[in-house]
Amino acid sequence: MPVTLIRNIEKDLVYRLKDFFLTMQDFFLFGVRSFLTIPKIRRYWRDFLDQAKICGADSIPIVLVSAISIGSLLAIEVGNLLEDFGAKTMLGRSTSISVIRELGPLLMGLMLSARFGSRNGAELGAMKISEQIDALRAFGTDPIAKLVMPRLVAALIMFLPLTALSDFAGLYSAAYMAEHYHHLDPGIFWNSVYPRLALKDFVVGFAKAPVFAVIITLVSSFNGFSASGGTAGVGRSTIKGIVVSSGLVLIANFYVSKIVLENM
Amino acid sequence: MIELRNVSLKYGEKEILHSVSLTIEDNTIKAILGPSGVGKSTILKLMLGLMRPTSGQVFVDGVEISSLSEAELFPIRRKMGMVFQGNALFDSMTISQNLGFFLRENLNLPEEEILRRVQEQIRFAGLEGYEEQLPESLSGGMRKRVAIGRALIFKPHMILFDEPTAGLDPVSSKKILSLISSLRQHNNLGAVIVTHIIDDVFNVADCAAVLYKGEIIFDDAAPKLHESEHPFIRSILSDKILEL
Ligand SMILES: Nc1ncnc2c1ncn2[C@@H]1O[C@H](COP(=O)(O)OP(=O)(O)OP(=O)(O)O)[C@@H](O)[C@H]1O
Ligand SMILES: [Mg+2]
Repeated sequence: MPVTLIRNIEKDLVYRLKDFFLTMQDFFLFGVRSFLTIPKIRRYWRDFLDQAKICGADSIPIVLVSAISIGSLLAIEVGNLLEDFGAKTMLGRSTSISVIRELGPLLMGLMLSARFGSRNGAELGAMKISEQIDALRAFGTDPIAKLVMPRLVAALIMFLPLTALSDFAGLYSAAYMAEHYHHLDPGIFWNSVYPRLALKDFVVGFAKAPVFAVIITLVSSFNGFSASGGTAGVGRSTIKGIVVSSGLVLIANFYVSKIVLENM
Repeated sequence: MIELRNVSLKYGEKEILHSVSLTIEDNTIKAILGPSGVGKSTILKLMLGLMRPTSGQVFVDGVEISSLSEAELFPIRRKMGMVFQGNALFDSMTISQNLGFFLRENLNLPEEEILRRVQEQIRFAGLEGYEEQLPESLSGGMRKRVAIGRALIFKPHMILFDEPTAGLDPVSSKKILSLISSLRQHNNLGAVIVTHIIDDVFNVADCAAVLYKGEIIFDDAAPKLHESEHPFIRSILSDKILEL
């Protein structure tokens, strides 16, 4: 009995591993094909513009909210901490680095994965189960070129200005809190921000944008494309897309910082 | 001409089609009958290369398609029009964009020519006034007519209908059937019609194939159905509608 049990577990494990690697292979090919179809962007210009609006302009509120909340929160908490050491004049430096390098991009990445990623996953999943993706193929159109590539290019481009916006809003809300909560002179705050900010701080922050764009778009679209099993299936694949892309955003956030900071 | 040769298809462990062979000649209308879930829609998808058989071969005009890459399949698919069971209209596009989709994607036609052909289809399908609506605001019968128009607009030489009359009222379904039979007279078009409804078979089809438990149990001229001894065929002839 235990032998068959072990054998069954082994069989199950092998099956799952095989399934996992096959999925990874499919995902890899999916990603490669999305990049290879970029030359067709002129043909799907309208789709690109629609997506640029969805992931760019329409994401402004959520990016602002997350940047402002992280900026103000950091200013308040770090300010309290620095006060204990009598080093409140350093507030600008410590918050600006967090906002620009780490927490700003990270929170933005998570928010966009929830917003842009979930939208992609649900929309493409619904198209998959209503056979619209098969219909595209039946009419001789490559669904990756028509549906995924415009989303990818839009995210690659639009995440950059969103990062700039997030930096700007985060810093200004930190400055506001420094002045009104900690009663720190704005001149002192900005003086500790500007001279110390180095190019690499911005490189770290802005390098994260395209990395997150690729992760969020490809993971959510891939999950949408593999949706099956009716409306509940769309729900499942959308959730899976968000969970996986959020996890990957967290991991990528760490590695981009590490790689850039070690090499600059 | 489309030919399936010894095609088998499995989903995981479950075998849906078992060594199915089927030929669809040009300029004929062939009906495919069978109970729900037997794999009729699957057969149409195999013919378009949307799915690949587990074993066996699929030929379209003499070309074996099951080993072709997706890019190589596109020119083959452009010879065929497909009306999906659930219509599969692009729900973010208007009716005229749906109708003009193939022309804009695949043919280098001037915009006026595209608009002219779209207008022609709109009139043909009786959808005047709905050009700029989204599919969601149309009735079931109208959507079906858009789906048919979308498949006809590029004048394919073979068209695959998946349940063109299911769920329609008798008037709409009569309209669609007469449309299908008129196509052959005017355009020399071959067609495959998947259906549940036995009357449709006698109304439009020249020949019929019956798929039952993964195998073809009948493949001959439609009137010969009456001569068959097979219990399943006898039951559908007496009940008129296939049991679910
Ligand atoms: N993605 C899938 N995964 C597993 N099984 C599937 C999948 N798609 C279809 N099937 C199975 O394949 C069989 C054939 O499906 P198909 O849609 O071709 O049937 P059908 O003859 O068109 O039925 P209906 O008349 O109800 O439309 C069904 O039993 C279905 O359960
Ligand atoms: Mg079907």
